[in-house]
Amino acid sequence: MTDAEDKTAALLSKLWVKIQPIVEERLATLDKAAAAEGILAEDLRKEAESSAHKLAGSLGMYGYDEGTRVARELEVLLGEVKPDAARLSALVTELRAAVFPAA
Amino acid sequence: MRQILIIDDEDDIREVAALSLEATAGWDITTACCGADGIRAAADPKHRPHAILMDVMMPGMDGPTTFRQMQLNPEIAGIPVLLLTAKVQGVDQRRFAGLGVAGVLFKPFDPLTLAAQISAALGWKD
Repeated sequence: MTDAEDKTAALLSKLWVKIQPIVEERLATLDKAAAAEGILAEDLRKEAESSAHKLAGSLGMYGYDEGTRVARELEVLLGEVKPDAARLSALVTELRAAVFPAA
Repeated sequence: MRQILIIDDEDDIREVAALSLEATAGWDITTACCGADGIRAAADPKHRPHAILMDVMMPGMDGPTTFRQMQLNPEIAGIPVLLLTAKVQGVDQRRFAGLGVAGVLFKPFDPLTLAAQISAALGWKD
Protein backbone atom coordinates (compact mmCIF):
# COMPACT_ATOMS: atom_id res chain seq x y z
CA MET A 1 0.00 0.00 0.00
CA THR A 2 1.21 3.52 -0.74
CA ASP A 3 1.22 6.20 1.91
CA ALA A 4 -1.84 7.84 0.34
CA GLU A 5 -3.70 4.52 0.30
CA ASP A 6 -2.79 3.90 3.95
CA LYS A 7 -3.97 7.37 4.95
CA THR A 8 -7.21 7.03 3.00
CA ALA A 9 -7.94 3.56 4.41
CA ALA A 10 -7.33 4.82 7.96
CA LEU A 11 -9.58 7.81 7.34
CA LEU A 12 -12.37 5.64 5.97
CA SER A 13 -12.22 3.30 9.00
CA LYS A 14 -12.45 6.23 11.38
CA LEU A 15 -15.25 7.89 9.44
CA TRP A 16 -17.22 4.66 9.21
CA VAL A 17 -17.32 4.49 13.00
CA LYS A 18 -18.24 8.16 13.19
CA ILE A 19 -21.13 7.97 10.72
CA GLN A 20 -22.70 4.77 12.08
CA PRO A 21 -25.35 6.70 14.04
CA ILE A 22 -26.34 8.44 10.79
CA VAL A 23 -26.49 5.12 8.94
CA GLU A 24 -28.60 3.68 11.78
CA GLU A 25 -30.93 6.68 11.63
CA ARG A 26 -31.40 6.21 7.88
CA LEU A 27 -32.02 2.49 8.32
CA ALA A 28 -34.55 3.28 11.06
CA THR A 29 -36.44 5.54 8.64
CA LEU A 30 -36.50 2.68 6.14
CA ASP A 31 -37.67 0.28 8.89
CA LYS A 32 -40.52 2.68 9.66
CA ALA A 33 -41.51 2.78 5.98
CA ALA A 34 -41.41 -1.02 5.78
CA ALA A 35 -43.50 -1.30 8.98
CA ALA A 36 -46.22 0.84 7.39
CA GLU A 37 -47.19 -2.25 5.37
CA GLY A 38 -48.70 -0.55 2.38
CA ILE A 39 -50.29 2.38 4.23
CA LEU A 40 -47.26 4.55 3.64
CA ALA A 41 -47.83 8.26 4.26
CA GLU A 42 -46.42 10.52 1.55
CA ASP A 43 -44.09 12.33 3.96
CA LEU A 44 -42.61 9.08 5.21
CA ARG A 45 -42.27 7.72 1.67
CA LYS A 46 -40.30 10.81 0.63
CA GLU A 47 -38.15 10.72 3.76
CA ALA A 48 -37.42 7.02 3.20
CA GLU A 49 -36.62 7.64 -0.47
CA SER A 50 -34.14 10.33 0.58
CA SER A 51 -32.56 8.00 3.16
CA ALA A 52 -32.17 5.27 0.54
CA HIS A 53 -30.65 7.79 -1.88
CA LYS A 54 -28.10 8.94 0.69
CA LEU A 55 -27.18 5.40 1.66
CA ALA A 56 -26.82 4.45 -2.01
CA GLY A 57 -24.44 7.35 -2.51
CA SER A 58 -22.22 6.67 0.46
CA LEU A 59 -22.08 2.98 1.46
CA GLY A 60 -19.90 1.96 -1.48
CA MET A 61 -17.37 4.60 -0.49
CA TYR A 62 -16.71 2.55 2.66
CA GLY A 63 -16.53 -0.72 0.74
CA TYR A 64 -20.18 -1.72 1.18
CA ASP A 65 -20.93 -2.17 -2.52
CA GLU A 66 -23.79 -4.58 -1.88
CA GLY A 67 -25.30 -1.99 0.48
CA THR A 68 -25.20 0.59 -2.30
CA ARG A 69 -26.82 -1.86 -4.73
CA VAL A 70 -29.71 -2.67 -2.38
CA ALA A 71 -30.16 0.99 -1.35
CA ARG A 72 -30.45 1.92 -5.04
CA GLU A 73 -33.19 -0.67 -5.49
CA LEU A 74 -34.96 0.77 -2.46
CA GLU A 75 -34.67 4.31 -3.80
CA VAL A 76 -36.29 3.27 -7.09
CA LEU A 77 -39.04 1.34 -5.26
CA LEU A 78 -39.73 4.25 -2.89
CA GLY A 79 -39.96 6.57 -5.89
CA GLU A 80 -43.18 4.77 -6.84
CA VAL A 81 -46.51 6.19 -5.66
CA LYS A 82 -47.49 2.88 -3.99
CA PRO A 83 -44.37 0.81 -3.32
CA ASP A 84 -44.93 -2.94 -2.97
CA ALA A 85 -44.97 -3.52 0.80
CA ALA A 86 -43.52 -7.06 0.74
CA ARG A 87 -40.67 -6.04 -1.59
CA LEU A 88 -39.96 -2.99 0.55
CA SER A 89 -39.74 -5.06 3.70
CA ALA A 90 -37.49 -7.67 2.04
CA LEU A 91 -35.12 -5.03 0.68
CA VAL A 92 -34.83 -3.23 4.03
CA THR A 93 -33.93 -6.54 5.69
CA GLU A 94 -31.41 -7.23 2.90
CA LEU A 95 -29.89 -3.78 3.29
CA ARG A 96 -29.46 -4.12 7.04
CA ALA A 97 -27.79 -7.51 6.55
CA ALA A 98 -25.45 -6.05 3.91
CA VAL A 99 -24.34 -3.22 6.17
CA PHE A 100 -24.31 -4.97 9.55
CA PRO A 101 -23.89 -8.67 8.67
CA ALA A 102 -23.37 -9.84 12.26
CA ALA A 103 -26.36 -7.97 13.67
CA MET B 1 -1.12 23.67 -6.64
CA ARG B 2 -4.65 22.85 -7.76
CA GLN B 3 -7.43 24.31 -5.64
CA ILE B 4 -10.73 22.45 -5.52
CA LEU B 5 -13.98 23.55 -3.95
CA ILE B 6 -16.27 20.75 -2.76
CA ILE B 7 -19.95 21.60 -2.21
CA ASP B 8 -22.01 18.87 -0.52
CA ASP B 9 -24.54 18.91 2.32
CA GLU B 10 -23.35 15.57 3.71
CA ASP B 11 -20.49 15.96 6.19
CA ASP B 12 -18.90 12.57 5.61
CA ILE B 13 -18.91 12.91 1.81
CA ARG B 14 -17.17 16.30 2.09
CA GLU B 15 -14.66 14.91 4.56
CA VAL B 16 -13.81 11.78 2.55
CA ALA B 17 -13.56 13.70 -0.73
CA ALA B 18 -11.43 16.47 0.78
CA LEU B 19 -9.00 14.25 2.63
CA SER B 20 -8.64 11.74 -0.20
CA LEU B 21 -7.90 14.51 -2.73
CA GLU B 22 -5.35 16.01 -0.37
CA ALA B 23 -3.75 12.62 0.32
CA THR B 24 -3.73 11.20 -3.22
CA ALA B 25 -3.19 14.34 -5.32
CA GLY B 26 -1.84 16.93 -2.90
CA TRP B 27 -4.55 19.39 -3.94
CA ASP B 28 -5.67 22.27 -1.76
CA ILE B 29 -9.31 21.76 -0.79
CA THR B 30 -11.98 24.11 0.49
CA THR B 31 -15.51 22.96 1.28
CA ALA B 32 -19.01 24.36 1.56
CA CYS B 33 -22.14 22.66 2.89
CA CYS B 34 -24.75 24.36 0.67
CA GLY B 35 -25.11 26.08 -2.67
CA ALA B 36 -25.20 29.63 -1.27
CA ASP B 37 -22.00 29.10 0.76
CA GLY B 38 -20.45 27.44 -2.29
CA ILE B 39 -21.11 30.48 -4.48
CA ARG B 40 -19.56 32.74 -1.83
CA ALA B 41 -16.52 30.45 -1.49
CA ALA B 42 -16.02 30.26 -5.27
CA ALA B 43 -16.10 34.06 -5.49
CA ASP B 44 -13.46 34.53 -2.78
CA PRO B 45 -10.49 35.98 -4.71
CA LYS B 46 -8.01 34.55 -2.17
CA HIS B 47 -9.15 30.98 -2.78
CA ARG B 48 -10.51 31.03 -6.33
CA PRO B 49 -10.83 27.31 -7.18
CA HIS B 50 -9.55 25.69 -10.37
CA ALA B 51 -12.59 23.40 -10.30
CA ILE B 52 -15.75 22.78 -8.29
CA LEU B 53 -17.08 19.37 -7.28
CA MET B 54 -20.74 19.77 -6.39
CA ASP B 55 -23.49 17.47 -5.17
CA VAL B 56 -26.72 17.45 -7.17
CA MET B 57 -29.28 16.85 -4.42
CA MET B 58 -28.91 19.41 -1.65
CA PRO B 59 -31.62 20.97 0.50
CA GLY B 60 -32.50 24.54 -0.42
CA MET B 61 -30.58 25.33 -3.59
CA ASP B 62 -29.70 22.09 -5.40
CA GLY B 63 -26.61 21.56 -7.55
CA PRO B 64 -28.12 22.46 -10.93
CA THR B 65 -29.68 25.66 -9.50
CA THR B 66 -26.39 26.60 -7.83
CA PHE B 67 -24.59 26.02 -11.13
CA ARG B 68 -27.05 28.29 -12.97
CA GLN B 69 -26.53 30.99 -10.31
CA MET B 70 -22.77 30.71 -10.77
CA GLN B 71 -23.16 31.26 -14.51
CA LEU B 72 -24.70 34.66 -13.75
CA ASN B 73 -21.52 35.84 -12.04
CA PRO B 74 -18.82 36.53 -14.67
CA GLU B 75 -16.07 36.19 -12.05
CA ILE B 76 -16.85 32.54 -11.41
CA ALA B 77 -18.80 31.49 -14.50
CA GLY B 78 -15.63 30.12 -16.13
CA ILE B 79 -14.73 27.76 -13.30
CA PRO B 80 -15.36 24.17 -14.43
CA VAL B 81 -18.03 22.42 -12.39
CA LEU B 82 -18.31 18.66 -11.96
CA LEU B 83 -21.62 17.43 -10.61
CA LEU B 84 -21.57 14.56 -8.15
CA THR B 85 -24.67 12.39 -8.14
CA ALA B 86 -25.98 9.09 -6.80
CA LYS B 87 -28.59 9.02 -9.57
CA VAL B 88 -27.60 6.36 -12.06
CA GLN B 89 -30.59 6.45 -14.38
CA GLY B 90 -29.79 7.56 -17.90
CA VAL B 91 -32.49 10.22 -18.00
CA ASP B 92 -30.96 11.98 -14.97
CA GLN B 93 -27.45 11.73 -16.38
CA ARG B 94 -28.53 13.28 -19.70
CA ARG B 95 -30.36 16.07 -17.86
CA PHE B 96 -27.28 16.92 -15.78
CA ALA B 97 -24.92 16.75 -18.76
CA GLY B 98 -27.28 19.07 -20.67
CA LEU B 99 -26.81 21.83 -18.09
CA GLY B 100 -23.40 22.73 -19.51
CA VAL B 101 -21.30 21.43 -16.63
CA ALA B 102 -17.79 20.12 -17.28
CA GLY B 103 -18.79 16.60 -16.29
CA VAL B 104 -20.80 14.30 -14.06
CA LEU B 105 -19.21 11.95 -11.51
CA PHE B 106 -21.02 9.27 -9.59
CA LYS B 107 -21.54 8.42 -5.95
CA PRO B 108 -20.35 6.37 -4.31
CA PHE B 109 -16.89 7.32 -5.55
CA ASP B 110 -13.69 5.43 -4.84
CA PRO B 111 -11.65 7.75 -2.61
CA LEU B 112 -8.42 6.39 -4.08
CA THR B 113 -9.33 7.20 -7.68
CA LEU B 114 -11.42 10.35 -7.22
CA ALA B 115 -8.52 12.68 -8.11
CA ALA B 116 -7.83 10.67 -11.28
CA GLN B 117 -11.52 10.82 -12.22
CA ILE B 118 -11.56 14.60 -11.76
CA SER B 119 -8.35 15.03 -13.77
CA ALA B 120 -9.69 12.84 -16.56
CA ALA B 121 -13.00 14.71 -16.69
CA LEU B 122 -11.23 18.06 -16.87
CA GLY B 123 -8.40 16.98 -19.18
CA TRP B 124 -5.75 17.75 -16.58
CA LYS B 125 -2.47 16.03 -17.33
CA ASP B 126 -0.62 16.83 -14.10
